Amino acid sequence: MADKRKAREVEDDDDIPGTSAEGPKQQAKAALAFKKKLKPDVKILASVTKFCQAAKDTEPETRTLADLNLANSCKEVVDLNTGSVVFEIEKSILAIAKSILSGNGFGYLVPSRSSANQLYVPELDRIVLKDKASFRQFANISSVRKTAITTRILQLVHQLCTKQIHVTKRDLFYTDVKLFQEQGQSDTILDDVSCMLGCTRSSLNVVASEKGVVVGRLVFVEDGDRIDCTKMGVGGKAIPPNIDKVQSMESDALFILLVEKDAAFMRLAEDRFYNRFPCVIITAKGQPDVATRLFLRKMKTDLKLPVLGLVDSDPYGLKILSVYMSGSKNMSYDSSNLTTPDIKWLGVRPSDLDKYKIPEQCRLPMSDQDIKTGKDLLNEDFIKKDKNWVKELELMVKTKEKAEIQALSSFGFQYLSEVYLPLKLQQEDWI
Amino acid sequence: MEGSKGKAKPKGKAAAAANESVLKQKSPAEFFSENKNIAGFDNPGKSLYTTVRELVENALDSAESIAELPIIEVTIEEISRSTFNAMIGLVDRERVDAALYDDFESEKAKEKRLAKEARDQEKLAKALAAGKKIKESNAKTGRGRGDTSFFKVTCKDNGKGMSHEDIPNMLGRVLSGTKYGLKQTRGKFGLGAKMALIWSKMSTGLPIDIWSSTKGQDFISFCKLDLNIHLNIPNIHIHEKRPNPEGWRGAELQVTIEGNWTTYRSKIINYMRQMGVITPYAEFRFSYIGPTPDKNLTIRFSRRTDVMPPVPEETKYHPSAVDLLLIKRLISESKEIHLQPFLQKEFVSINKAYAERLIGEMGPEFQPKMLVKDLTGEQIVRLHQLFRQAKFDDPSGQCLSPAGEYNLRLGIMKELSPDLVATYEGSAQVFEGHPFIVEAGVSLGGKDVKPGVNIFRFANRIPLLFEQGGDVVTRTAMKRINWNSYKINQQQDKIGVFVSIVSTKIPFKGTGKEYIGDDISEIAVAVKSALQNCCIQLKAKLVRQQQAKERQQRKRNLSKYIPDVSRAIYDVLEIVSGPVAQRPRYGPEYQDLLEKVAKREVTEATLKQKLTSHVQQVDSEMALEFATQSGMVDTARENVYLRALDSKRHFAVELHNPVAVFKLFAGI
Repeated sequence: MADKRKAREVEDDDDIPGTSAEGPKQQAKAALAFKKKLKPDVKILASVTKFCQAAKDTEPETRTLADLNLANSCKEVVDLNTGSVVFEIEKSILAIAKSILSGNGFGYLVPSRSSANQLYVPELDRIVLKDKASFRQFANISSVRKTAITTRILQLVHQLCTKQIHVTKRDLFYTDVKLFQEQGQSDTILDDVSCMLGCTRSSLNVVASEKGVVVGRLVFVEDGDRIDCTKMGVGGKAIPPNIDKVQSMESDALFILLVEKDAAFMRLAEDRFYNRFPCVIITAKGQPDVATRLFLRKMKTDLKLPVLGLVDSDPYGLKILSVYMSGSKNMSYDSSNLTTPDIKWLGVRPSDLDKYKIPEQCRLPMSDQDIKTGKDLLNEDFIKKDKNWVKELELMVKTKEKAEIQALSSFGFQYLSEVYLPLKLQQEDWI
Repeated sequence: MEGSKGKAKPKGKAAAAANESVLKQKSPAEFFSENKNIAGFDNPGKSLYTTVRELVENALDSAESIAELPIIEVTIEEISRSTFNAMIGLVDRERVDAALYDDFESEKAKEKRLAKEARDQEKLAKALAAGKKIKESNAKTGRGRGDTSFFKVTCKDNGKGMSHEDIPNMLGRVLSGTKYGLKQTRGKFGLGAKMALIWSKMSTGLPIDIWSSTKGQDFISFCKLDLNIHLNIPNIHIHEKRPNPEGWRGAELQVTIEGNWTTYRSKIINYMRQMGVITPYAEFRFSYIGPTPDKNLTIRFSRRTDVMPPVPEETKYHPSAVDLLLIKRLISESKEIHLQPFLQKEFVSINKAYAERLIGEMGPEFQPKMLVKDLTGEQIVRLHQLFRQAKFDDPSGQCLSPAGEYNLRLGIMKELSPDLVATYEGSAQVFEGHPFIVEAGVSLGGKDVKPGVNIFRFANRIPLLFEQGGDVVTRTAMKRINWNSYKINQQQDKIGVFVSIVSTKIPFKGTGKEYIGDDISEIAVAVKSALQNCCIQLKAKLVRQQQAKERQQRKRNLSKYIPDVSRAIYDVLEIVSGPVAQRPRYGPEYQDLLEKVAKREVTEATLKQKLTSHVQQVDSEMALEFATQSGMVDTARENVYLRALDSKRHFAVELHNPVAVFKLFAGI
């Protein structure tokens, strides 16, 4: 899916063809009309500050799974220090060795991560893993491969943790290509292992290669180096894959702007949007990776800032928001560490298409697959909990139109940073 | 010879007269010479093939008619030109006659050969001398006819035989279907061996030899005859009785024809092989004697069963299957005088009440008691129209004689030795008033089977080898069967598709009646459903086989990972057992283990060995479980047919056993 998005972005860089001679004039007029509505920045800032203050004042919910007393017990993992991880692995290996020596073969009790074993907890607003687990036996043709890979990964992680070093998932895969065959297999087992040991994936000292970027009014210390995200140029600071090394976050921002993709992020960074309206801008360039989600959560909890989401007006944009908020099914065992509750949907919302008079040629018809995804989303709990979201999604499915953030560029490349976002902030138009 | 000729003539006239009253005046032989391609005599090669098949099918019919398990011997002997010349040389008188024609024709032929080679075929029909002439011109040009040569084809059977007096008329006269009723027959044209006779007359001019004896006859009839094509009467050379000391019964025919072995070798062998599939109760011995011994070939298609399908019954026409001419013929031939019994007796699916209803429907001018011979042309048309429009019960498949699922299955196993085979016999269906039954078999693997779909088609229990592309079976198997859904790979698996259709009328298509059209939906549906039924059976077997295969591979697949796992576990164990002070924190139950690892009493090899024995144990447990589930057998049981020995043998000892009795031969 990331590739598809990238391809779309490339297309968007071109001028939108088919705009008639009359078109641009009318559009310019419309753009001007919206620009006139803008109040001075001071006034906008005042209202945003109020919003920010409100967010800081509300005590963040600290309810955990244990507090809820749910009917079915759930599996959750915690951050463990490397010493405990080593100890956990050693205990498992010893148990296995004992079992082998007594002639019984061996196996692993692995929590199931299938969608049947997932549960959305509305109180927490995130997906958690139920307690179903399966026993993977070595002497079974269907599970022998997974069991063998698990054993090898356990040994490799043990090595990493004793040596106190970090590797990427790709590195891990290359240590035994012959056994793992493809990276997907070692990645899946790695998630199984963290589930099994009851620790987060980052505790295993295996990280994903960096993908996310952050820019704006944020200062933090990474492994002893002080990073000032206002001085990171237009590219922004790559989000460190290892969140453990990020400390002492400071910021004078009023909000965090979560952007779905790179193109919009670049525009905002280049226009130094964060200087006009103090904020932190973050993107994972499509589907968010673990590091970006961890980083966003850390910012939100440490700095107590409201988060505003700027995504495409299509089902995938919403899905990406949902991953930030409620977690992905694949990593639901670690949802408590990965999710950032209470993200406001700023735009681009289906209702914005008409409200901001986005020209027809910038809207795309939804494919059958899009419409199906949209309808499926309507049944998802995280959408249903908010009436306003349901309304927007229903509108999208009804009009069968989608638009990307770049559609706003039809009014000029800087329309996004100079008119659309300020106006949104001024009107406090988020849901 | 003179005498025998005289004897044959009156009979010939009588038969010709009988023919005239029923049929067209044109000599069937003349019709054949003009249209020999439709009868399968397109070229010398195909003529050789068709001759063989006509003789074989005749022989089969003859044996089956007396419920005797057929034993058929076919010999093709290639005759060199010099031998052929010598053979002609023997018949002095005829050669003198022919020489006149020879010179006359050769001039003309030479010119035409330069212009068009195809015309040669026509010249062949003129006289026996043509053979000689062509031989000469061939020697000059050395091309044109390729490997065309002369063959003596002999076919010997153990059938009914022919009575001494009937032989000349049975073979020396081309009778065109005066058959009264309707019946499932092997032949496609109803001409049988007579076609081969005409071809021999056309190509070599040599007479045919017939040996025959019927049951309990103490002599063998020998007859040498050829055919007067224009008069359609036999021309008898020799007709005599010879001693029969061994009490032989059956018939042997020998024709000398022009043919081409090189190009039709595979077709002839294929035909014999497929005949073996569809008639596993027959024994075929095929031999080819070439000009040099190294080219000789002998194949024996042995008998695999003694269950023979019944002889097809003759049946009446179904009202919806008749045309105007046929109604007129039935009227003229029927023993019934009155209309109502005529309808009732001459057709199937019309009982007395229904006949009365039909007569009532046709109006007041029709009466049950009226004479059928008095029906006017218009009235017959009226009757015909009613037959077309009225509703009749379907004819039953009682009159048909399919090969039978058992025989088809044995035949497939015998000739292809496939890994898996499934067969199915459909119920009788109806197409335009003719009943038909579709039987099908699908095999996987086997010898001499190419990867992909191999089609074997049979119509009325004879193989169809030509024009496969348009056939209903080919189309169905290639396009309408989703092999994948039965776990069969259409491209890579060796699939044998066998479809046998029997009917009182096979709706052949194409000039040579070589395929069944795909446009008859009744047949297409029946073929598809029969094949699907076979595939469903196969799928079940394939799934079971797959499981068995997995079971065999289980141990190997499990063992493959033992080294990886042992190494990984031992790696960690080694580190853990290092610092002695740390050991207690893992709990008391592991102290012993850690101690052993530190002392190298437990090593990677120990782990490997323990895992290997565990895998072995699990594997044998699973094998036992699998065996109990699937009833201890991996492949389906099948019946074995053992040839019965003749009762004259003396046996010394009998060994008894609950399943069988073994008899040991006494030493002679």
